[in-house]
Amino acid sequence: MAALKPILLVEDNPNDIELTLAALESSQLANQIVICRDGAEALDFIYRRGPHENRQLQDPAVVLLDLKLPKVDGLEVLEKVKGDPTTRGIPVVMLTSSREEMDVVRSYNLGVNAFVVKPVAFDEFFAAIKEIGVFWALLNEPPPHRGGWPSNG
Amino acid sequence: MDLSLCDREPIHIVGSVQPHGFLFALDLPDLTIVQASANAPTTASVGERLEDGFPELAATAKRYLEGAADSDGALYLRTVTLGSGSTRQAYEVAAHRLDDLLVLEMEEAEDASVEAGLDALNPQLRAFVQRLHAAASVEDLCHLLAKDVRHITGFDRALVYRFDRDWHGTVLAEDGNGVLPSYLDLRFPASDIPAQARELYRRNRLRIIPDAAYAPVPIRPATTPAGKPLDLSQSVLRSVSPVHVEYMRNMGTMASMSISILVDGALWGLVSCHNQNPKRVPLQARNACDFLTQIFALQLAAKVRGEHAEQRIALGAVQSRLLGFMAEEDSFVDGLLNHPEDVLALVNASGAAVVTADRCRLLGATPTEREVRAIHDWLTARGAGEEVFSTEALAETFPPSAAFADRASGVLAVSVSKRFASHIIWFRPEVVRTVKWGGNPVKAAQPDPEGGPDRLHPRKSFEVWKETLKGRALPWSVPEIEAAKDLRASVLGIVLKRAEELAAMSEELQRSNKELEAFSYSVSHDLRAPFRHIVGYSNLLKNREGANLSEKGRHYVETIIEAALSAGTLVDNLLSFSQMGRHALNKNTGEMGALVEEVRRKVERDVAPGRTVRWEIGALGRVYADPFMLRLVIENLLSNALKYSRDRPEAVIEVGRLPPQDGEAVFYVRDNGVGFDMAYVDKLFGVFQRLHRVEDFEGTGIGLANVRRIVERHGGRAWAEGTLGKGATFTFTLPLREEAQ
Repeated sequence: MAALKPILLVEDNPNDIELTLAALESSQLANQIVICRDGAEALDFIYRRGPHENRQLQDPAVVLLDLKLPKVDGLEVLEKVKGDPTTRGIPVVMLTSSREEMDVVRSYNLGVNAFVVKPVAFDEFFAAIKEIGVFWALLNEPPPHRGGWPSNG
Repeated sequence: MDLSLCDREPIHIVGSVQPHGFLFALDLPDLTIVQASANAPTTASVGERLEDGFPELAATAKRYLEGAADSDGALYLRTVTLGSGSTRQAYEVAAHRLDDLLVLEMEEAEDASVEAGLDALNPQLRAFVQRLHAAASVEDLCHLLAKDVRHITGFDRALVYRFDRDWHGTVLAEDGNGVLPSYLDLRFPASDIPAQARELYRRNRLRIIPDAAYAPVPIRPATTPAGKPLDLSQSVLRSVSPVHVEYMRNMGTMASMSISILVDGALWGLVSCHNQNPKRVPLQARNACDFLTQIFALQLAAKVRGEHAEQRIALGAVQSRLLGFMAEEDSFVDGLLNHPEDVLALVNASGAAVVTADRCRLLGATPTEREVRAIHDWLTARGAGEEVFSTEALAETFPPSAAFADRASGVLAVSVSKRFASHIIWFRPEVVRTVKWGGNPVKAAQPDPEGGPDRLHPRKSFEVWKETLKGRALPWSVPEIEAAKDLRASVLGIVLKRAEELAAMSEELQRSNKELEAFSYSVSHDLRAPFRHIVGYSNLLKNREGANLSEKGRHYVETIIEAALSAGTLVDNLLSFSQMGRHALNKNTGEMGALVEEVRRKVERDVAPGRTVRWEIGALGRVYADPFMLRLVIENLLSNALKYSRDRPEAVIEVGRLPPQDGEAVFYVRDNGVGFDMAYVDKLFGVFQRLHRVEDFEGTGIGLANVRRIVERHGGRAWAEGTLGKGATFTFTLPLREEAQ
């Protein structure tokens, strides 16, 4: 059986890292969780460069990418990953504290798989992180004005 | 029969001269005769050199060519005596250049006049100039001119005649010996002097017909070497139009002379002299009259300029006062409206109006607002790019104004904004005048008795014919029109300055909007995160260490969670409120029912288990709105309805659509919840306004503010009705659009 793909968490805020890890921990996921503290490091991991040159792990199952990051920010990481045919298939979930819609629009334009505004309420936050797949279906922020009106029925 | 036929008669190439002199057209440079009038002495004929027959003339011509040959118009050169044997005749020689030709005209001189050189007239000219300086008015100047011209020429009657804007002429001054009737104050219609004759008057200032019964002398051959008829515009002997000769005969005069009065190069009027019997005036005397007239014209121009300058100074004072008033006020219009007397004095008007697209303000004696609007609309429609419009007879161009001619026959209007179609309009009342015409000015075409085409004949009668002139105001003077133009410039300057200030303000506003956006962003990002962390850690604490905490400790932790949660929610709500104002609406047509259903499903997720909620959703139809924004409205209203009806055994929530009112679609959301006291209805939609204690109903108090803001941005209205304890109805409207129906 192939080894489980790791989950790559790109987050600079230690509180968010701790809370996210707590949530993932309670979900009893067996996947390894790799933490990168900024966008540059995340790209190094994804492209096996620098400190991650000799990593043995497979490509991440999902990248949980914070939008505001030191050095290379989340949107730049997203742009790079989604603009590259070799990495385009890696699912990227954008996590952000911001509720500004322009970021949502830009993220979707760059090809993000899901966009999650971190809920203030802990239950929701926990649930979101825990069931990341269900979370996409439930709490995923649709692009504004994308579909416009709901279809009948 | 076309009246303009008269205008087309080619009077400058008539091909003949009057018989009191003869003409040579000479080829340059060897002065070969190429054309001659039939009455020229046979001593020299066409094809020969002038020198061979008339060495003296040839010498004179050569001197002329060496000297002032480029001067405009025929120039008197000298008097020569020609002839052979016993028949000797003195001639006054005049010359002018015409392309490659030299035209020499020899006019018979009477012996007496040979001696009367310019020197003999000198004292008279000197005296004239002195009296001109002393003259107080234009009328006085004209009288002096008429008097002196008659004195020099000895005609029976001399008139000074002035053209008005329509080229009708009025006799301003007259001097006569009583032989001919007085024409003083009479008007002569423009058709008496057709356009091409006026142009000839401008180019050649002096004309004389010594004997209206003359037989024209043809010029031979008929054309110049270039193949064209000889242009006689500058000629002193030019034969005149048969129509003109007929006109003279009808007038009872056999000799006439006229001198053009040019002011700043334009034909201002004429000095017109008549004699009952044929009469010759020596070239010298005519030149003296021309000279006199030119001095008169200079003096006239100076006087008019002086009068205008005086008027300008007077109006300038009014204008600078108005400018000050306008600058003081927020709107230039107020500056004008608060000082009606100066507005009227500026152009000596009796009424004025300031008309913009949505307002019409009247000052003094004006037509009614509706009539002024009609004038304004007409001005706007006619004058694309017309800065100033003036007329002394409005009804001539705008017939409906005849109905209020007593208030607005004269109109002077300046446009102050093309974009917003605004005018300042001044009015002058009708001044009824009686005009005495020199005969009925309506010309009649008469059939030619010989069966030729109809021909226009000059009128036969010069009997005084009175006309009452209506629908006319006193004309606007040049300085008045200029004062209006200047006021326009001032207004535009002020308006422009205001526009710049506004632009600066809007730039500032844009900048602060950008700052607000940046602020919102950082609030959204940096303030939400700590609240999230507080909630998160408190939860971890409660879940993992709860067992170790005291009852009080757990209560504290729960309070921390609640407080941080509500702070975080507040930040979210504030942000969406600010987004409402910043984001552009993206409206299109959609099904309101589908939207409500989607939102209903979403808000029902938060309904506590065990609650009974009955939804009554009517037919909602289509609507034209921004679906993203409208979703927020529905979400707020439905979650409110759920929230405030949660203590009912059965919550009933109705969503419906009322028949359209005043072009608006009307929707309502009704619940049977706690309701509210109508005394506080005005506070309901305010930001952070709550009508309930926070421990009874959670919420930040922004939801309804968002509802109103979104609805108003769509151009609709939102309001509420409630009864304490019995429920509330929230209604909002959206403007209808045809395709949304």
